[in-house]
Amino acid sequence: MTTLSRSNTRDLERRYRRLLLAYPPTYRRAHGDELLDLLLEDAAPGRRVPVPKEAWGLLVGGLRSRIVHQATGSAWRDGLHLGITAVAMVNLAALLPYVQALPLWTLLAALALLAVLRGWLRTALPLTLLVGVKMVGIASGRQFFDVTPLPVYPNGLSEAALFETSDPYLVAASYAVVLIGLVVLTSLRRPVRARSWWWWAAALPAAWAGPAWLAEEFDHPVSLSRMAAEVVALGLAVAGGYLARDPRWALASGVYLLIVSSDLAFHAEQLGRQHLAYAGILLLLVTAAALIPFRQRRHCLD
Amino acid sequence: MPRGTSEVSEPMYFVLTALRAGPLHGHAISKAIKELSRGRVQPSVGTLYGILERLNERGVIAVDREETVNGRNRRYFRITDDGQALVEAEARRMQEAAALVLRPSGA
Repeated sequence: MTTLSRSNTRDLERRYRRLLLAYPPTYRRAHGDELLDLLLEDAAPGRRVPVPKEAWGLLVGGLRSRIVHQATGSAWRDGLHLGITAVAMVNLAALLPYVQALPLWTLLAALALLAVLRGWLRTALPLTLLVGVKMVGIASGRQFFDVTPLPVYPNGLSEAALFETSDPYLVAASYAVVLIGLVVLTSLRRPVRARSWWWWAAALPAAWAGPAWLAEEFDHPVSLSRMAAEVVALGLAVAGGYLARDPRWALASGVYLLIVSSDLAFHAEQLGRQHLAYAGILLLLVTAAALIPFRQRRHCLD
Repeated sequence: MPRGTSEVSEPMYFVLTALRAGPLHGHAISKAIKELSRGRVQPSVGTLYGILERLNERGVIAVDREETVNGRNRRYFRITDDGQALVEAEARRMQEAAALVLRPSGA
């Protein structure tokens, strides 16, 4: 083998290894080299870039493998945990535009999310309760635990003051959902799985209020970045239900939809046709996630 | 052969058919599928291993042995009795379906 062809093979191997990151780490450690061997044996001499068909096959295969690996254990317990993880992430995201004014409470909300993500339910409970009480206090103009100058002004992530367009009941509801879920899961005395670190990445688009959609026409604009994150997450829930024939993602999506629909219902008088379209898209995706696990089998091994 | 039968997907059918000859590793299965289908079915490596994992989970195939080649692990798969029964049932079903069309008219 010439120096040039060895260099080409190394490039190709490196690129295929990157694509193999789509697979769960356990699968990659056990069988990654086996797949890589086959990919390199099939490669045309001198090729440096993965064949598109192979690249797509690895991405889809990896996603499928990740989803199927998730669909183990009790579906409703795992679905509930996933749902409260999403709501805890949104609760943290609501504070990120005010981190400079509320560093301690944002840190506590982040620790609450960390505890939920790692499955430390008994730690997550008091943290969520503490932050929830403080936030309901701010939303209702009361000072709990420490003195917070009101209104709380935002950084570049938002233009509105904290809970300016919200209501104490809505804030209480979003923390109550997490707390109820944590109480139920704790009472079962069964461990829950640790969740992906990617949840931290979802907090930023959920926190960013811009680019705002409908800001000119309505008092209750919808953040396009948050909408995109929601559509991607609910789309993954549909894919999960389709591939694994499992309802856990539908349950989690339903828990999340509860919070979004409460918010829209509260602002009912300020909503337009576009808001209904937004709610309709989310509802459609959640309904699809709920029904798709029961789709007809195409063949006996499907 | 009709594409996408109602009982077993086409790539799965060719994987099971290839393994009837004896245990094979991934690369040999890939080559066998290509030959058996006359080049028509060529699943990507990701798709092929997805099929192998699913067939393995359902007990239709099993890992026969593992070998280390050039420091890398390689699994050999074999068809199980359930897999043998499944692929034979599928072949019979397709034969009966084909006979409806291919039998001489008036027979």
